[in-house]
Amino acid sequence: MPQLVDMRNIIKVYPNGVVANRDVNFSVERGEIHALVGENGAGKSTLMKIVYGLEQPTSGSIIFNGRPVKLQSPHQAIDFGIGMVHQNFMLIPSFTIAQNIVLGHEPVKGRLLDTKAAIRITEQLAQEYGLDVDPTAKVEATPVGMRQRVEILKTLYRGADLLILDEPTAVLTPQETDDLFDAVRRLVAQGKTVIFITHKLIEVKEISDRVTVMRHGEVTGRVQTAEVSEEDIARMMVGRDVLFRIEKPRQQRGEVVVQVKGLSYVSPTGRPLLRDVSFQIHRGEILGIAGVEGNGQTQLAEVLSGLQPPTTGEATIGGQSVLGRGPRHVRQAGVAHIPEDRLTNGVALEADIADNLVVDRYYRSPFARRGAMSLRQVRRHAEQLMQKFDIRAAGAEALMGSLSGGNMQKVIIAREFSADPVLLIAAQPTRGVDIGASEFVRRQLVEERNKGKAVLLISADLAELLTLADRIAVLYKGEIVALFRSRPDLSEEELGLYMLGLKRQLPEQRE
Amino acid sequence: MNEARQKFSLEFMRIVVVIVLALLLGFVITAMVSSDPVDAYRELLTGPLPKITINDNGDWQLRGINRFGNWLEDSITLTLLGLSIAIVFKARQFSLGAEGQLTLGALGAGIVSLYIPAPFVIHIGLALLVAGFFGYIWGLIPGALKAYLNADEIVSTLMLNIIAIQLYQFILTRYLKDPTAGYVGTEFFPESAILPVVIPGTRVTIALFIAIIAIVAVWFLMSRTPLGYEIRMLGANRRFAEYGGINAKRVIALSMGLSGILAGLAGAHLSMGLLKQLTLTLSPNIGFEGIVVAMLARNDPKFVPVAALFYGYLRTGAQIMERSSDVTREMVLVIQAIIILFITAERIVPLVQGWWLHRQSPEAILDSAEAKG
Ligand SMILES: Nc1ncnc2c1ncn2[C@@H]1O[C@H](COP(=O)(O)OP(=O)(O)OP(=O)(O)O)[C@@H](O)[C@H]1O
Ligand SMILES: [Mg+2]
Repeated sequence: MPQLVDMRNIIKVYPNGVVANRDVNFSVERGEIHALVGENGAGKSTLMKIVYGLEQPTSGSIIFNGRPVKLQSPHQAIDFGIGMVHQNFMLIPSFTIAQNIVLGHEPVKGRLLDTKAAIRITEQLAQEYGLDVDPTAKVEATPVGMRQRVEILKTLYRGADLLILDEPTAVLTPQETDDLFDAVRRLVAQGKTVIFITHKLIEVKEISDRVTVMRHGEVTGRVQTAEVSEEDIARMMVGRDVLFRIEKPRQQRGEVVVQVKGLSYVSPTGRPLLRDVSFQIHRGEILGIAGVEGNGQTQLAEVLSGLQPPTTGEATIGGQSVLGRGPRHVRQAGVAHIPEDRLTNGVALEADIADNLVVDRYYRSPFARRGAMSLRQVRRHAEQLMQKFDIRAAGAEALMGSLSGGNMQKVIIAREFSADPVLLIAAQPTRGVDIGASEFVRRQLVEERNKGKAVLLISADLAELLTLADRIAVLYKGEIVALFRSRPDLSEEELGLYMLGLKRQLPEQRE
Repeated sequence: MNEARQKFSLEFMRIVVVIVLALLLGFVITAMVSSDPVDAYRELLTGPLPKITINDNGDWQLRGINRFGNWLEDSITLTLLGLSIAIVFKARQFSLGAEGQLTLGALGAGIVSLYIPAPFVIHIGLALLVAGFFGYIWGLIPGALKAYLNADEIVSTLMLNIIAIQLYQFILTRYLKDPTAGYVGTEFFPESAILPVVIPGTRVTIALFIAIIAIVAVWFLMSRTPLGYEIRMLGANRRFAEYGGINAKRVIALSMGLSGILAGLAGAHLSMGLLKQLTLTLSPNIGFEGIVVAMLARNDPKFVPVAALFYGYLRTGAQIMERSSDVTREMVLVIQAIIILFITAERIVPLVQGWWLHRQSPEAILDSAEAKG
């Protein structure tokens, strides 16, 4: 088959001296689904940004469709028919979906945006590619799965033949992932080519024709997917065998430390997002929260961590009432929080790693003494955590914004785990984290539980919930509709029925 | 450590490149408006420097020391104002309020100087304290309005400037004015409240040391105290700061208050060091120059004195050029403005860097990157 993209000897050195790609050769054939995998910081996003014209290679050449090209900007890439959906979405929240899709190439009537035409175009595209969206909904009011489809439609509208999807499934529920894969297959059937970045090897096996593996900025392998197993790919990525199982000893459940009673939250626009939520968590217990994205999980985490005051209800940690007095108070009561939206809440991109790691403790000894902060302590603290959590970066003084997506997540995890909390709220903690690191995070969560901590684990990954949680609560439309004790015969399908609101427990059935 | 040094030299390089480019452009413009551009430009470039002349007997004489003094005096004001704005910018707030804070600072210093008798050192200390306090209050007000009532700080600081200046002029003409003087101004301050001169022949006073202390203090505040950390995190990402437990509102208010202290001290420098009295206008429009200095220094206290000395030099040279050549004041201001434009054109240096990298061979690139990492 003819090669659509052929990248030769690509070297990319960022201005801060990080070598993200070193002498990379990468090619994609027309009409294939090509998976690109590798650990956090391996240089996958960078390589794809180069194809998309967003970053310029320091040296090396790109041959597209048999012709050497120099891509100086995404504009040019789009002219060549190259489209990319980024790891972090780039839609305008206050615009409608139709407006977002036609943005930049708007149909006009006179000098104004032809709204009707935009909606028509959106509907046609959605129909053609089987990507269901609501053209008139505002992006901010739509679930992530739909936003993703909007991003894809947007690139298709601009005439993309090559579609680059950077970790598209990280934010999707299993059902949404299946839908996405169906759409991707349809696209390929229509002659498009897809490059697909993911950390989930099961997805690689399921959808791709070929895989390229990257490690430390280099390509370490390119294989036909059918010829290798997940374990093989994992070995190529990490350079050693990866264990997929987690040891979880019998639970030593202690007394109740977290009491949530009658929690409700109504959004500023008047939508009830949490309704009368009550539960308890014991010492040494992981309580999992399952639910389709957008059913109140985000608000539950934000209210419990003090970021939002609840409309009614209260929560106590070790008997102490914590809500309504801001995040500092909640943190001092022993709550740590791995936020779902890491870029807005979890990190400051313009600050360095060391500063990012002390945001909840900078005012305490040993970081601050008698009104002065010790930079040495802050740096040492960072270096220790970077080592313990295997954060790959140029150093403690590297700016957060220069880290790869997965390494940012590790910084957050390092900070919140090391806070030694009574209650750890972990929202999507392994999202976007590579397999090695995911196992690490999961092991750590179990470790915390074994040490007698209470863990509230919010995850869209049901398999993760089923392996880690001791009990699982299902949120549907802001309400807890079921609460199970985790047991071997509890299946994803069973949970799914509750998540979709097809079944609900009676109060006395809750476990 | 190494990285910090490298950052420092990169930053230094950036400033030098910006300055050289700006000066070249300045010369082009001078050449267009002056009949003798070389001479005019020489006045601009060397005017503020003292000149040593040696006569036939081998005796030497220092001339132009007062111009040199003007440069340093101006740089002290600019340093204090630059620090003031740097704090606000670090917190990602905005402030146009230095003018008002400075005016009230001068007023406070003047009142203490004229009406509260005290022995020498204590008198000065008290006057400085009051000047700083007045500035603090005048910064805290728009800060609190922004933090708790979400009042736009650009509007509020501009309004507070008007209030401060009217208040100053009202109190001056109504209560403080020396009735025997033929103009609106107070009596000269008593000796005990005048900042002692440190460079004879100029008006460079111990305000120089105040400025140096202020640099160290602001540097320490920003990089070595919890409050400085809070200001930096607030500026980097407010949601993150709040998530970490930082009281963003308090920090916004405080950062603007602290910034006011420095502007207030600049007012004390003007009144107790330069004018030695209060006059109707103190130093028109100096209030906004702190913004230029802070931007030139990238809000880094370490670079503020460098930027202030540079910008002060340019301002003094410009005045000299205006006085001793045919270039008009307007053109002088145009040249100054060009420099501001260059500073805001952030992409100039990365462009140069990128071009340099592209010219090298792949091996050399990897080698040098490896050596650095
Ligand atoms: N803008 C940037 N400036 C400096 N360094 C950067 C920048 N972007 C990425 N890097 C560095 O380049 C390396 C590769 O990053 P990249 O984002 O390509 O990784 P990735 O393979 O996509 O990882 P992840 O799976 O975590 O998303 C990392 O070490 C990262 O720190
Ligand atoms: Mg990436």
